[in-house]
Amino acid sequence: MSNKTKNEPVIAYSELAIRNNLSIVEYCRTSLAAVSGCTAGVLGLTGSYGAIFFILAVTSFWLMLLCKAGVDSWKKFFISRKSLLLNGLFGHFFTYILCWTFIYGMVHVY
Amino acid sequence: MPATFIHRSILTIGFLSLFHAAYSAAQHRSYLRLNELDFTYLPHDITIQALISLFIIMYGVLHVAGDFKEIKASAELEDKSWETYGNIPSFYTFSHRGGKCSNTNSKTSLEEME
Amino acid sequence: MTADLIVDPQIRFWVFLPIVIITFLVGILRHYVSMLLSSQKKVEVQQLADSQLILRARALRENCGYIPKNSFLIRRQAFNKEDGYLMQKRPPVTQNMMTDPSMMTDMLKGNLTNVLPMIIIGGWINWMFSGFITTKVPFPLTLRFKSMLQRGIELSHLDASWVSSASWYFLNVFGLRSIYTLVLGENNAADQSRQMQEQMQMTGAASVMPADPKVPFKAEWEGLEIVEHQWKLADIEKEMLQE
Repeated sequence: MSNKTKNEPVIAYSELAIRNNLSIVEYCRTSLAAVSGCTAGVLGLTGSYGAIFFILAVTSFWLMLLCKAGVDSWKKFFISRKSLLLNGLFGHFFTYILCWTFIYGMVHVY
Repeated sequence: MPATFIHRSILTIGFLSLFHAAYSAAQHRSYLRLNELDFTYLPHDITIQALISLFIIMYGVLHVAGDFKEIKASAELEDKSWETYGNIPSFYTFSHRGGKCSNTNSKTSLEEME
Repeated sequence: MTADLIVDPQIRFWVFLPIVIITFLVGILRHYVSMLLSSQKKVEVQQLADSQLILRARALRENCGYIPKNSFLIRRQAFNKEDGYLMQKRPPVTQNMMTDPSMMTDMLKGNLTNVLPMIIIGGWINWMFSGFITTKVPFPLTLRFKSMLQRGIELSHLDASWVSSASWYFLNVFGLRSIYTLVLGENNAADQSRQMQEQMQMTGAASVMPADPKVPFKAEWEGLEIVEHQWKLADIEKEMLQE
């Protein structure tokens, strides 16, 4: 028991701050999905190019997020980097597709 | 660093630029259709404008959304002094012997407090 | 790219765009109307006490590492002994949903803000904008999606990626959810599917406050029996002194 605590000191996290950070990230990511969908629609991407564009946009946004948090100091704000990238990706993809379809229809179909 | 006016205006500029790119693309498509040309690719300036405005919007959103808080529970307690911790309001005592020792003036003020 | 079908540009401004705007504004309106109609639920004292009791037991179970073992055992005993908190009997609650007037009005309000606009607006859009091809999805789809995306148009030779106006409305209804979150903040009432879920739960007689506390009491009792005490602060003096 005591060995375990010696190796890994228990870090107490503040629930409120975690939730605050996650809600900010969620907000950013939803708007990112919508805006990148709009951009994909403007560019007139079709088929798998759109999916690739989405992945690129999410990844570059993730890098920007890490830059904002600080390259070294992201551990102060988030528990895991990977979950920051991957959480709720499918829900955002749906938003992306809706905006993509909408702007693509507005710009390129008519 | 709270969301400043500059960041909001950056966001607005990004949206306007994206909208302008979309409008140009739509115009391009209608031009092609009127001249019965085939659509091969979008003009480069529109593509570049759309991509740049996407990045501008990303940057703006990131700064408008707000700042992160430190998730360690000890972080918000670090810059407080020991006196702040020692201050426990539930254990305040007002009716102690000090009231008896001093003059009547303070006694009335104590009663007012209660 | 099969751009062989040329769509009238007038459709863009008189069908395609209005559907998006109508769907969006109806969602916003629903949010505010349901805020207007929402009423605070009345809670029985007994129920509140029970739920707080469960919370207390859970707090003990999760944070037991921070109190000494003896204290933990005492607290657990208080909850779990023969006549402890978690073993006390409650009279079985036989609450008839239909006779309870507040339940009825709640359901009515739920219907008023959820199902009714859905039917009315959906029907209206179907009637007003029926039969248009509105847009084309920018990715290829198989023929199986045809019935989903081309409601109201029965053309067997049309490519599956074209979307009819009625289907575009439904796509919007389900797709705008995250945009509402963006605009209205979280826990908004515009989110239709979540509300439907809630309603299903309500009709299933499993509301937020359990009417019969026996089951959660039993679960909490078992959790407390199982939990193993691990003293987390064994090295606390050393750590404090190091810092």
